[in-house]
Amino acid sequence: MTPSETVAELAHPRQDYSYAFLDEFAKRELRRRILKAIAIPGYQVPYASREMPIARGWGTGGLQVTLSLVGPGDVVKVIDQGDDESVNAANLRRFIARMAGVETTSDTLEATLIQSRHRIPEEQLREGQALILQVPIPEPLRWVQPSVAKTREMHADADYALMWLVLYEQLVRFGEFVTGASYPVIVHRRYLMTPSPIPRWDTPKLHQAAHLTILSAGREKRLYAVPPYTDVYPIEFDDVHFSVERQTEGVCQMTGVSHKYMNEIPQPDGSSRYVLSDTSFADKLLKQKRGERVTIGEIYFDDKGNFYHAGYLKS
Amino acid sequence: MAYVATRGGEKAIQRAEQLYRALNGAFDADFVRAIERHMPYLMDRVMGEGSLYAPEMAALALAQAGGDLYEAVLLLRAYRSTLPRLAYAEPVDDEALLAVRRVSAAFKDIPGGQILGPTLDYSHRILTTQVLDNGHEASRPEPEAAEKPAPTNYPSVSGWHRLTGLMTRMEEHEPPDPAELPDVTREPIVFPASREHRLQSISRADTGGILALGYAGMRGYGLTHPTVNEVKLAYADVRLRHPITGAVFSAGRIRVTHTEVVSTSADGLELGFAATMGWNEVKTIAAAMLDMEMSKPEPHPAHTEEFVLYHTEPVEASGFCIHFKLPHYVTFNSALDSIRRVRSRREGGNRLQQMIQTAVKEKAS
Amino acid sequence: MQATSRVNAVSTISLDPPRLITMQPLLRARGLTKRYGRVTAVADVDVEVYPGELLGIVGESGSGKSTLLRLLNLEEPPDGGEYYLDIPGYEGDNLFELDRFHRREVRIYHIGIVYQYPHLGLRMRYTSSGNVAERLIMTGERTFAAMRQTARDSLAASEFPLDRMDDLPFKLSGGMQQRVQLAKAIALKPRLLLLDEPTSGLDVSVQALVLDTLKRLQRETGITMVIVSHDLGVIRTLADRVMVMRQGRLIETGLADQVLEDPQKAYTQQLVHAKL
Repeated sequence: MTPSETVAELAHPRQDYSYAFLDEFAKRELRRRILKAIAIPGYQVPYASREMPIARGWGTGGLQVTLSLVGPGDVVKVIDQGDDESVNAANLRRFIARMAGVETTSDTLEATLIQSRHRIPEEQLREGQALILQVPIPEPLRWVQPSVAKTREMHADADYALMWLVLYEQLVRFGEFVTGASYPVIVHRRYLMTPSPIPRWDTPKLHQAAHLTILSAGREKRLYAVPPYTDVYPIEFDDVHFSVERQTEGVCQMTGVSHKYMNEIPQPDGSSRYVLSDTSFADKLLKQKRGERVTIGEIYFDDKGNFYHAGYLKS
Repeated sequence: MAYVATRGGEKAIQRAEQLYRALNGAFDADFVRAIERHMPYLMDRVMGEGSLYAPEMAALALAQAGGDLYEAVLLLRAYRSTLPRLAYAEPVDDEALLAVRRVSAAFKDIPGGQILGPTLDYSHRILTTQVLDNGHEASRPEPEAAEKPAPTNYPSVSGWHRLTGLMTRMEEHEPPDPAELPDVTREPIVFPASREHRLQSISRADTGGILALGYAGMRGYGLTHPTVNEVKLAYADVRLRHPITGAVFSAGRIRVTHTEVVSTSADGLELGFAATMGWNEVKTIAAAMLDMEMSKPEPHPAHTEEFVLYHTEPVEASGFCIHFKLPHYVTFNSALDSIRRVRSRREGGNRLQQMIQTAVKEKAS
Repeated sequence: MQATSRVNAVSTISLDPPRLITMQPLLRARGLTKRYGRVTAVADVDVEVYPGELLGIVGESGSGKSTLLRLLNLEEPPDGGEYYLDIPGYEGDNLFELDRFHRREVRIYHIGIVYQYPHLGLRMRYTSSGNVAERLIMTGERTFAAMRQTARDSLAASEFPLDRMDDLPFKLSGGMQQRVQLAKAIALKPRLLLLDEPTSGLDVSVQALVLDTLKRLQRETGITMVIVSHDLGVIRTLADRVMVMRQGRLIETGLADQVLEDPQKAYTQQLVHAKL
């Protein structure tokens, strides 16, 4: 070693990122947390959320879970509002593909990992698939109790009466349950959970599902899970029941189907048109119409709006 | 029946980035070096909030982000995420800091003295437009060396308080093993937070957020009447232990700010403390005050530990704020559904049904 | 106005009238003590209340009476003492030794409380009926119709106008707010009802109405009550028995008539003569 060597000469050149961006310690910690979340369905597990090269609030939680689960053999689908081509979904998919070198797809049936913001696809997910939902606010009690310390105690005591009181107040004031997306549910008959801002239409899909659902909030640093074949029930009364959105009774302009979740497109004359929110499902239906070969999976809700688990929806 | 779909998301992203680069102009290594040389306080802010002392990277982050402070902090933090932890530095005693500036509002004169150091505190805030006219600043006289050099180390003012019994003495104990300390970048923060997590969070907190909440305390929303016991702008040696010989050596120096604030109550003096990497007086003074506020048994709701630490996280706050630009139409549609339901119930009519039936009819025709 | 011989015959505090000797007390507490730093708020106080009785605890501010009530409501851990309630599932259990879960259970199912300040006991921006319904929800009730009915029944028993059952408490008068608190406290028909200065701060006429309601409630349901008040008039109107407290200590206890007509201790005498 000659005295004139500089630190720069002695050091490694700047390294590229490790597989799937996160270093091995970060991945290990995340995997352990995910296992804990699966072991306690619906319970929010705190984790040391790493900063990612995308802004907080834009899916860093879902991204960290995907990156800690992904392997070279996986096939990854990313959607936002049900749309594979939405700018945010495209951005995340690009990052995952670059960091993990995996195949990507828009076909719900082909994917092994589906990262989604605010929707569950219309085609049924099967065993072996993992759905990763992006969560802005993981705490279902947040709107009745802002303090994180107090909500931890409430979960420990299963002190959830306030949630039903909120429903009571809604009935007295409006005659209806008015909570829209992020409808609170009870998981495995124990923990109160927010299913992330999915519409009420998608909430039943979590119940006794064949697939694994992991929900992750990067900014709030909590993740939680619904293992396959777990009971998930929306909060409701015995005599007034949870119900899904009525806009699903509209008809999709493009495909002609009904009883699926729709995007409302305002028209200049003040009326509205409806288009399927699940774009890859819409694509398949259109392909089918054109006579092309396409595999369409079993769907959660049939053309009359009946849910595939009979008796689950009471209204 | 026109249906407009926004497709081709990836193309849109690439074009947006190209447009951004075109508008903001290309930058080169010279520009990055110029930022490092001429914008030290901006650099210090980015490094402090980025919680990574890497001047070259901070300058690059600022150049790449076009000067957008929150973007630069995010870039630095994301970079930090990729770095492995190689070693833990030895703890730094505040009396061992190499201070270039040390002031106290508590006393006219203190052991070691008050040293103004490099500061614009007493300057007249007048824009030097002659730089634009002449192309350069008017020549300034070089600072003369004083006859007697200022000390490099200063005894702690709060140490004096403790000696005189005005402040409770701290227990003597072994310095902790840094590797054993809780680390807020490696574990999630849980409330009530450990002292370590609180101080770490403050040191990387958003300056503006800390200032706003601290200012509220100073104006009366808190019950504190603080006195700045000591503000130090200094250099800290990053001392490492050689893995084989065990010898302690300095791996370099970083700029740090160390601030202590005291509140005067009849029972005695209470201390609030904050420190950060880089020189940032505004943040540490406000943060030291908030340290006191958060420690009260019943703080103002905006000064509870949970409120302060959650909402002064720059990456989380700015990220969540701008995330509201993302599409939220699924949740919005669901909310509209509820409104229409309630309305149709009130009006006794079936407007929603009518809307849907109209759509069905049109499709059929 | 007692006959002299009867007054002379009353020589000790422990002589209880015959009808109570055969009954088990509902509430038995011994040696209740509570300190806040250097201040002793409650010092070694014994309490005994029989089913259907109304015990009044009277004292000036600083006497420790409200702290005592909070101890009886299991709101704070004591610094000493034992506390027993004759309630299903907890007979013979020192309630201070219960774990957090069972303590909550007792407070939900078996004890009702009305606070001096309505905002302490009510959710001011939820409906009055909702405030009552919440008690049922806490026990697992999930039928909306049942919640409505119980809310109606409880509010009616508190003599609250049913056409206002869905009003928000922050819009109600002080007297109405106390009636909502009362309805909430009795919704689950607990055996013990605690009231902390329930009518202080109300107009005299409103006070009288609320006291009437409390009397009627006691008569019709036989619920056991402990009322804390600085107002001897309230105690006189409602209480069967009285405890006089001063600076955390029990000064005197006995039948309300006896203690108020013929106080034995100097302090009680001062209190009675100053206030009546």
